[in-house]
Amino acid sequence: MNGDFLSLISSNPFSGLTVGEKCPELLEATTVFAFHFSEGVVMAGDHRATAGNVVFSDRTEKIIELDNHSLIAIAGSPAVAFEMARTLQTTFEFYRRSQLQVLSLAAKVRALSRLLRENLPATLQGVGAVAPLFAGREPGDGHPGIYYYDPLGAQFEAAGYAASGSGSGSIRSVLHYLTKWGNPRPQQMDRGDAINLSNRLLLTAAEFDTATGGVDPSRGVFATIRLLTRDGIQTVSEKEQIGAWRKGDGND
Amino acid sequence: MIEEPYRWLEAVANRREYIEDQLRGATPVFAFSRPEGVLLLGAGPGRTKIFEVYNRHGMAALGNPVDIEKLRQAVIETAHLEGFNRSPDDVTLRRLVGFSISTALKNAFEQIVAAPLIVEALFAECGGAREDDVLVRVRYDGAPEYASNGIVVAFPDREREREACEWLRAQLTGSDPLARVRGLCLTAWSALVGGTEFQDLKPPDPLPAALDKHGIESALIDRSGTGPAQYRPLGEQDF
Repeated sequence: MNGDFLSLISSNPFSGLTVGEKCPELLEATTVFAFHFSEGVVMAGDHRATAGNVVFSDRTEKIIELDNHSLIAIAGSPAVAFEMARTLQTTFEFYRRSQLQVLSLAAKVRALSRLLRENLPATLQGVGAVAPLFAGREPGDGHPGIYYYDPLGAQFEAAGYAASGSGSGSIRSVLHYLTKWGNPRPQQMDRGDAINLSNRLLLTAAEFDTATGGVDPSRGVFATIRLLTRDGIQTVSEKEQIGAWRKGDGND
Repeated sequence: MIEEPYRWLEAVANRREYIEDQLRGATPVFAFSRPEGVLLLGAGPGRTKIFEVYNRHGMAALGNPVDIEKLRQAVIETAHLEGFNRSPDDVTLRRLVGFSISTALKNAFEQIVAAPLIVEALFAECGGAREDDVLVRVRYDGAPEYASNGIVVAFPDREREREACEWLRAQLTGSDPLARVRGLCLTAWSALVGGTEFQDLKPPDPLPAALDKHGIESALIDRSGTGPAQYRPLGEQDF
């Protein structure tokens, strides 16, 4: 009765995934990132999941709302990552309902860390590595944080931005440049500029990484973008992304 | 003691008497199926009688606070395990009552060598439309009674509980706003606690919005809620 859903499911197990001797081509999901902007945190990702050189899906949702105060962005094995997101959603809600209070941000950050640590055998076997990003804030407190993890579960808070997945190198480079010399810098950007930057970052990543995709403004295909602000979590609609894109130079 | 059937029966009868004696003096709780969703209402200092269970599920209870807590934890655990192992849509009140709540209460009631659960409860599930709502009254011995008219009252005295239910049904129309539902509910609450006969009870004008010596706990399982969790505690501004 301590509100710990992870303990509850370990005492009420259900059959998990098993991997046979001959493992199929592994599915992977890339590319995701988060950065601070003037109203909070932007978390965005493309829609592509790949298996080797095969585009498995261009409609994958990688930015997942865990509760009213936290988001996860998944990169790596979708099977494990989606299960982690679902486990965290239930864990946070179970705690809130059973303990009649919201789980603290520190505990949420550690809950994901624990899941990654428990996934270590699959990570070492090369069949289920996940490199997620987490964004959250304490209820009532306006300042949100961005966290990234190593595969063993170590957690780090990002000062301004974080990225994960195969296209993350390009995105980190651009965000580093903009944070250092941009005008405005990402953390000074308003909502429209931050949305526009998100789509531009994904297009930049896709230029150098075949596994990044699913964003094509010329066909009206945009990123998944969610905002974590004082008002909670908002999903940026396709209509708003089109508006922001046109307000930029509209040139892809 | 339990090897002799008549002694077992006597022990169960004693147990029933003990529980009902312990429940005497407890204040009532209510659930209403409304166009806006399911309204839960009770009197207490806050988060002592009305609780969220799952996305579309809530409960209200009276009795020993520790036993209310035991029941609450048990049903929340069952609902979340079911929602996690299957899907949130598979968490239904009929299954929760049938396989968890009623069984747990009946077992606790019949374990005559252990302390009983001193708790009476009602549970609610908000459906997509009003006719899909499920309201159920569960007694301390686990017996469930499903409501067919969109109103459930839980009170230790069964006859008075039935009278309150009928009075409320006669007073309410389908289009009444939540403020009127609350006012009639508080009138029935005062009548139950004060021992007023429902036969002669007329709704006061204006209807009460508060109780003299008690705070009000209320929540709505909101049919129009956009997120997965549709339960929200209500404040004065919501009426």
